[in-house]
Amino acid sequence: MPVEHDLRTVDMLLNMGPQHPSTHGVFRMVLRIDGERVTDVEPHIGYLHRGSEKLCERENYRQIVTLFDRLDYLSNFNNELGFVMAAEKLMGIEAPERAQFIRVILCELNRISSHMMFYGAYGADVGVFGTSFMYGFRERETIQQLFESVTGARMMHSYFRVGGVFQDTPDGFEAAAGKLLSQLKRSVEECDRLLTKNEIFLERTRGVGAISAADAVDYGMSGPCLRACGVAQDVRLIEPYLTYNRFDWDIPLGKKGDCWDRYWVRLEEVRQSIAIIEQALKLMPKGPIQAPVAKFGFVKPPVGEAYFRAENPRGEFGVYLVSDGKTSPYRVKIRGPSFVNLMALRQMTVGHYIADAVVILGSLDIVLGEVDR
Amino acid sequence: MIGLLKSLGVTLKRTLRKPVTVQYPGEHITLSKRNLGFPVLLWDDNVDEPACTGCQVCMRYCPTECMTVTMKDNPLAKEGKSARKKIVDNFQIKMERCILCGICVEVCNFDAILMSDYHEEGDITRGGLIAKKEDLFRMGRDFQKRAGIVVGSAGDKKEEGA
Amino acid sequence: MTWADMGWLILAIVIFIGFITIVVLGLTYGERKIIARFQQRLGPTRTGPFGLLQPVADALKLLAKEDFIPGSVDRLSFWIAPIVVFVPAFIAWVTIPFTRDIVISNMEFGIFYILAVSGLSTAGLLMAGWGSFNKYAMLGAVRSAAQLISYELPLVVGVLGVVMISGSLDLKVIVAEQDGLWFAFMQPIALVLFLIAGLAEVARAPFDIPVAESEVVGGPFVEYSGMHWSMFSLAEYANTFAVAVLATILFLGGWRGPGPDSGWGQDVMMAFWFLLKTSLVLLAIFWVRATVPRLRIDQLMSLAWVVLLPLAFVNMILTAFYLYYDWPDWTMVAISFAVLAAIGIAYQRRRVSRLATIETAKVRVRQGKVVA
Repeated sequence: MPVEHDLRTVDMLLNMGPQHPSTHGVFRMVLRIDGERVTDVEPHIGYLHRGSEKLCERENYRQIVTLFDRLDYLSNFNNELGFVMAAEKLMGIEAPERAQFIRVILCELNRISSHMMFYGAYGADVGVFGTSFMYGFRERETIQQLFESVTGARMMHSYFRVGGVFQDTPDGFEAAAGKLLSQLKRSVEECDRLLTKNEIFLERTRGVGAISAADAVDYGMSGPCLRACGVAQDVRLIEPYLTYNRFDWDIPLGKKGDCWDRYWVRLEEVRQSIAIIEQALKLMPKGPIQAPVAKFGFVKPPVGEAYFRAENPRGEFGVYLVSDGKTSPYRVKIRGPSFVNLMALRQMTVGHYIADAVVILGSLDIVLGEVDR
Repeated sequence: MIGLLKSLGVTLKRTLRKPVTVQYPGEHITLSKRNLGFPVLLWDDNVDEPACTGCQVCMRYCPTECMTVTMKDNPLAKEGKSARKKIVDNFQIKMERCILCGICVEVCNFDAILMSDYHEEGDITRGGLIAKKEDLFRMGRDFQKRAGIVVGSAGDKKEEGA
Repeated sequence: MTWADMGWLILAIVIFIGFITIVVLGLTYGERKIIARFQQRLGPTRTGPFGLLQPVADALKLLAKEDFIPGSVDRLSFWIAPIVVFVPAFIAWVTIPFTRDIVISNMEFGIFYILAVSGLSTAGLLMAGWGSFNKYAMLGAVRSAAQLISYELPLVVGVLGVVMISGSLDLKVIVAEQDGLWFAFMQPIALVLFLIAGLAEVARAPFDIPVAESEVVGGPFVEYSGMHWSMFSLAEYANTFAVAVLATILFLGGWRGPGPDSGWGQDVMMAFWFLLKTSLVLLAIFWVRATVPRLRIDQLMSLAWVVLLPLAFVNMILTAFYLYYDWPDWTMVAISFAVLAAIGIAYQRRRVSRLATIETAKVRVRQGKVVA
């Protein structure tokens, strides 16, 4: 209900500064509020800028993989995939089939762990005192231990290489992954039951931060934020890469584009990822895991440019690679989906309450490493 | 009200499960065999010299430039005891810059460097975090003994023990 | 009053306040352990055996902390606010009986005194918010003032139902009147109202928006540190304990329970039943805190004014009819539960089904192609 403007009220400037428990990283939001209603939002980014794109110009292709790990630090494999497939596209080679299956399995597991992190943080934003956080991180922990058995690191893997992957999966990987998936199925049901139909959660998120499909497409949004508006846009469907056109899966779509839809789409995507991983584990062949690309240890793509896009947990991740024939690229441009999704924050938040601003920011699921690069 | 009651049921069910806390540093979770700990230099027990020849390939490939490597002529080669003509003279790794990516292990031509399982290398002095040659050899020999890694004859692939 | 009486009174007050403080400190520890169990983890374990010395560690830490006061605060408000919040929380305990004989000073208008005194802390929160010279604090203070005032009414009118049936404001008499059927069965509507409004009065989850950690980072308390802040924290836990104890006395039969009829065995059993029932209520409060998300301020207010207050009046009218026409007890029980069930079902049908209809779709992808 609008405030009666017979009273002369003054807008207050509230700074949700870089250090705040709820801004998912070093992100600054300057809100202009009228009582409890937000009338303007001004996001300030750049606190986490590390010059990744410039660093790419002097590191060789094997070292750049470590840089891409650290962009969206919650979905490391998906970032690495974007880069190595852009380089492979430029060189015109394809990774062997086993490597592709390994990549699919790891990327989908990373999607699950990223969405579990979203679940945890979102519950904390909405006000559950940390319970959702603990549940989400419990699942992440088991997935990260599986990652450690494959790559040696829980988060910053540097495992994908141009033309394949670094090492083969260890013995017992299929069994461990199968066990993990059955545990995940049970936990996702419990996480679902904790929040999804909870009346207070519904009251907090239904109708909050709604954006129409046309506006979302105009802003260039992608990923779960766009699918929550009802637009069936998924890079795995439109430009299938790796072996995605051999699986059976569903794309969950929302209808209203509000916070609950975005939350629900992500939770459903976890279930679909589990289905994809099960099929991939069954279909995975034995074979080589690295195509021969490097002469004397150096990867040297031919002169040219290539753009590759992948479906990150946060949206459409794009890598534009320009090579001049040397061992380092000439230019790498990274299209971070969180950066583009963040543009819609102002439209979504104006007119809602301060408490809703936090909930909306949480539902966009931004990662500052990707926004600032 | 049903959703709320179901949520309360979920939390109640969780109280009946064993807590997942691992009481570090009393208990440790088991690390996998491939765990990327700090890099260490391997020792060739057959010839009693380090496996590293100081060729600087790892230094060039390191993304964070955390290593300093120099090489010298191998005195044992002159005596005819070793096939390595050059041997490492000085090797320093800045532990605070190393991002544990494992690229140095991947590119080493002599399989002389390996990611160990050391991960609790805190220190209270600034200089303590620079691992010098002696530290790397000591940690390497300790890790070799524990993991059963034997360096083959000079310049060849290593064989992994048990 | 003779000097000896005065001396005994002062001693009783000191013992009582010491006891309450120890209980409150134990509550901080118990809450952390219990909520940890709900989250499938351990709570404090390192400080002392089973982490039992955690409250001591917390207290020492708070005492040793640098108590810095920002330069631009309004000194008077800033310094007085913790006192205004802390003192009512403790003086409300003067008249709460733990067993039939353990009370500092039983008053004939016991429950009236408690409700009146606990309303004073609203002013303290406003003082804290204003004096802190901080926008977040101001927002939190204004929200909390709105919340506390809104929930006073359902609280008082709900308790009024119990007072009408028992015919007295005296807490001992109220417990004595529960020899037949507990008031939890006779006045379930009042019980629901008391628990919800009581939680809101204490500003605990799910009504902790004034101190919402994820938005206003502590609300009115954001600029306080050290001993200043600990006064607020102790007051919050003392209030929570008071809500639990009052729920036991007013609705769950207080210290009534099977046991010997006389002698010190009776005292022990009375204390035991009292503490057991209070612990169960506290467990429920912690359980709710661990599970339920936070309500937004406008939803909170509409809950108080649109749902709880009319319900409180319905309860009052129902009780009046029961007393005036001398209906048998079971009619009261049956009608109250029917009213609660009707409200629950109506809410489920109208609001929840509108909110929770999943208007979602799935695009089926088979082998890379979309199928219908």
